[in-house]
Amino acid sequence: MLPTLVLLAGVMSGAVQPQPAVPSTIPEMWDAWCARCHAPDGSGRVAEPTISVEPMDFTDCAVATPEPDADWEIAIAAGGPAVGLSAEMPAFGDALTTEQIRGFVRHIRGMCRESGWPLGNLNFPLPIFTEKAYPENEFVLKPRLSRRDGRSDLEFVSVYERRLGRRGMWEVAVPLASHAADDGGARAHGLGDVDIAVKYVLAAGAEGAGILSGGLEVALPTGRDSRGLGHGTAVFEPYLAAGTMIGDVYVQAQLKGELSADRAKAARAVVYNMYLGRDTAVTPDTWTIGIELNGENRELAVTPQIRKGLTRTGALGAAFGVRIPLNRREEQGTRWVGYLLWEYLEPVLPRR
Amino acid sequence: MGRLLAVGVLGACLAAPLSADAQTGSITGTVTTKAAAPRPLRVTIDQRICGDELPDESIVVGAGGALAHAVVTLTGIKAGAAGAAPVVMNEKCRFVPRVQVVRPNVEMTTSSRDPVLHTTQAQLLDGSTLFNVALPIPGITIRRPVGSARVVRLGCNTHPWMRGWMIVTDEVAAVTGADGRFTLAGVPPGTYELRVWHETLQGAPQKVTVAAGTTAQAAFVLQ
Repeated sequence: MLPTLVLLAGVMSGAVQPQPAVPSTIPEMWDAWCARCHAPDGSGRVAEPTISVEPMDFTDCAVATPEPDADWEIAIAAGGPAVGLSAEMPAFGDALTTEQIRGFVRHIRGMCRESGWPLGNLNFPLPIFTEKAYPENEFVLKPRLSRRDGRSDLEFVSVYERRLGRRGMWEVAVPLASHAADDGGARAHGLGDVDIAVKYVLAAGAEGAGILSGGLEVALPTGRDSRGLGHGTAVFEPYLAAGTMIGDVYVQAQLKGELSADRAKAARAVVYNMYLGRDTAVTPDTWTIGIELNGENRELAVTPQIRKGLTRTGALGAAFGVRIPLNRREEQGTRWVGYLLWEYLEPVLPRR
Repeated sequence: MGRLLAVGVLGACLAAPLSADAQTGSITGTVTTKAAAPRPLRVTIDQRICGDELPDESIVVGAGGALAHAVVTLTGIKAGAAGAAPVVMNEKCRFVPRVQVVRPNVEMTTSSRDPVLHTTQAQLLDGSTLFNVALPIPGITIRRPVGSARVVRLGCNTHPWMRGWMIVTDEVAAVTGADGRFTLAGVPPGTYELRVWHETLQGAPQKVTVAAGTTAQAAFVLQ
């Protein structure tokens, strides 16, 4: 979310300035109204602040690019609290047209002077299985409960993701599992195969048309294969992930190969996922209803799911779904899946 | 205690909204203080619009210590029909009026005559914000609900000295003028508690007895 979007208000500085009667262009309006708090260059560094919170730095591309236009438009039109930010950011919705508000968003985006940063319009909701193409700073907890052949398996994966530069990201995923034994013996509990991964944005549409990323995951053989907790061999998983919007519908897809170092221990596989989803509102705490088609070699499943932003800042989100096999039902079983997501660089609680 | 006493004396009279007629009296009085008026504020922003200095209206004292902008409220007596919708004007970098009595659940209007960005941030005394709207263009008019009975503080994010107050109440209340005087008309006979509010000074409640066709007197000294 917008970390500290504060008051879109003010004139250029505390010094006496001749003021146009009515500014008519977006840059003139910025200088006449917004720069008092946000500074003429958008850095938020002003000599004589008139508000108590520190404005966000729009010249910092890592701050200015990750959020979708809709969040910025809401903040400008309805004020900071509408998106969980400071109440010192007033609502301009009574004074500006929709086109003027969009012009301010473009103006603010232009304060990031570096090229290559993917826009937040491409930052789509996280599906449960399909890898997002957009790089994130997130911590995600993924509980998964499987029912197969009358047995229950439980897995709990903790994922830490961190952006690298303009387009990169690395992550580590640590699974803890509780599996029923194949021979009917005691359940096995413990660490599964830890994943490390990198992701890079290969292409991103300037106006938010679409995004394509490539990545590589490596599953390390940290889980004891003798107890069914791991593969017993490293598995290399290159993938492509893409996303776009068709009308109001999110479309995200992923194609991944699973190439084990020891094919005797882990069969190679092709994994493919596609997600379709739609928000019920434009605010960060919206419900998002979606469905995924999940495939692995010849196994097919669908995962209807629902996601909810848990705060107005968008820093917390949760999703729940059920993966239902379309074929090979006994091998796949039914899985109850979900996640709790924390964008750890964003404020969780709304500011006053 | 005063509120209970008033209820006991007036009985069913309290259920009806106050209206002026021959069966009622009135209360008039003064609010004074020995506090000195603060020094004018030196303006460092938008002097072309705001001037180089502005009076510090947190305490406005007239001749004989007459205190303006105090609100005297008749505890427990409902006011009559609502009057004109409340308006706050942003004018020469001040909220005008600075203090006004507002009925609950009405819409207030904020407007500006200044060719400079003002905002009207309405806050409760716990610091929570009711609304904050931008007035970047002279002549713009914005309406917002004030909600239930409470004290609402108005501020401007671009001119930190600007302060306004809306005393939202359904009780009979009046704001003192520059002479420190107030009048509450159409009060049914009875004994009441009068209380006084001021943004920086304080005063104790008083008992006052009103008879039909008479004017009761009250005098507050705030410190």
